[in-house]
Amino acid sequence: MTTIVQVDRAWGPKVTGQALVMREGFSPRYDLDRVTGIISRIGHSAEGVSVKGKILVIPTSKGGVAGGWAFFDLLHKGIAPLALVFGKLNPVMVQGAVLANMPITEGWDQDLVQLLKTGDTITIDPENKRISVA
Amino acid sequence: MKLNQEELAMLNGDKGRAVQEAIKFQIEVGKFFNAERFVPITNAHVMGDIEVMGDGGLDMMTQIAEEGAKCAVPSTSNARCMHFSDEPALRPDEGEEKKERKLLIQLRKMDINTTDTCINYQTVYQPKLGEHVAWGDTGTVIYANSVFGARTNFEAGKSSFAAALTGRTPAYGFHLDEVRRGNILVNVDARMKDLADWGALGKIVGHPNQDYFAVPVFTGIDTTPPPDALKHLGASLASYGSMAMFHMVGVTPEAPSAEQAMGGQAPRSIIKVSDQDIQAIYDAYRYVDARKNIVVFSGPQQSLFEMQTLARLFEGRSVAPDMTAVITTNHAVYSDAKRLGYVDILEKAGVTLLQGVCFYILQRLTQIREENAWANLVSNSAKIVNTITAHRFNTVLRRTAACVDIACTGDLK
Repeated sequence: MTTIVQVDRAWGPKVTGQALVMREGFSPRYDLDRVTGIISRIGHSAEGVSVKGKILVIPTSKGGVAGGWAFFDLLHKGIAPLALVFGKLNPVMVQGAVLANMPITEGWDQDLVQLLKTGDTITIDPENKRISVA
Repeated sequence: MKLNQEELAMLNGDKGRAVQEAIKFQIEVGKFFNAERFVPITNAHVMGDIEVMGDGGLDMMTQIAEEGAKCAVPSTSNARCMHFSDEPALRPDEGEEKKERKLLIQLRKMDINTTDTCINYQTVYQPKLGEHVAWGDTGTVIYANSVFGARTNFEAGKSSFAAALTGRTPAYGFHLDEVRRGNILVNVDARMKDLADWGALGKIVGHPNQDYFAVPVFTGIDTTPPPDALKHLGASLASYGSMAMFHMVGVTPEAPSAEQAMGGQAPRSIIKVSDQDIQAIYDAYRYVDARKNIVVFSGPQQSLFEMQTLARLFEGRSVAPDMTAVITTNHAVYSDAKRLGYVDILEKAGVTLLQGVCFYILQRLTQIREENAWANLVSNSAKIVNTITAHRFNTVLRRTAACVDIACTGDLK
């Protein structure tokens, strides 16, 4: 059965991929080793996991303007995530996603951090502000 | 978005390809936030170094500069990711250093003043109440919005450069009156004795309320905090809470009273902060057992007054064996601090001074940590003990004088 989740705001192309669900906020500067693409912050819920090709499901964004360049840089290094799904975000994430042509959404009518587990396949449809969970 | 004639001309390519690409990018970001129009800006503060933008970013900047595109408004650059010196303990990759130097040349071609500072608001440009700017560093943004009453969002990566080139930015977020209203009330009943206390206060409010659109209103501050205190508070709120604005009743220009700061709305939450709450922040940090450790005064760069304080505290002492002490500041403060004798006092004590950088954004910092076998990083900056964690330092927040004592004794207290 497919579950449809409506989001508040969205941008970018439609994509399907595997979710990487985080329990806490995320910043590519504070939490990610941007050489390897692996979450490196000690104690992060996804510590040791690679973001490459994953749809990151993140409750909140953390400070830091690094995201403005970081997603574009990760794309050039071949270790970028596929899309970003936020509960709450800041403009840095949008600016960074637009530069990297990476789909991004904000807000959800069902808590995706609870609904999803890492490895689930989901489709992001920004045009219709919709995420479907297979 | 509604575009005027000038903006349509930009979109049409009449002002060159770089400006066309810039405004296209801004329109896409504006669409996400339902911006209805652009606002003209008076100043841009751009953020980009080789460590964060990588080769792709450098190529993009080089193309823009080679096309001859120039900033439409006075512009400055944020702190860099490396110090161009022979300091062996903090050396960048040679190849990356060449790229960073090349990037600086491109920025200057675009008429960006490469001030390399994250404290432009203390040393370069102080916008006025209601003035729209586009600043690309969270600490600068929260200071501009809160302390000056100027208006800016976090403008990251290409966004700050796009604003510099077009001289405008989409009208969303903190450019709009309704977003600037306070929505969290913070009653401070604590004696704020040190800059680190202000950072701790920022952590108490920011960490449990991570939300760009949360705007805390501080009450109960009965003395006028110096700019350095507001800087550490803002940097910490932006870092832990991703926040871009605060009000302080009787201190910041849009907060003559708590009611006015909140635009007549009730707060969505009320936080009380006591001396014990501030102390609990310090008590929660734990040291790991290690021989070599580092004390850092950075994040944001040190002001002239902070340099003066540190010179006074380090005078006649020396950094202990197995300890390293690092201070970062911008070129402007460094040259004044040199002239005033602070640099000589600090260097005599064995402190390493870095110019035009911020410590946590240093290129190849993880390897630098490993090469120096540093385990604990102690700082009076609540921001840096948060931002540096991807490099796997064990971080500890301490008050300024305690940091200096730790640096000079090696006693991890």
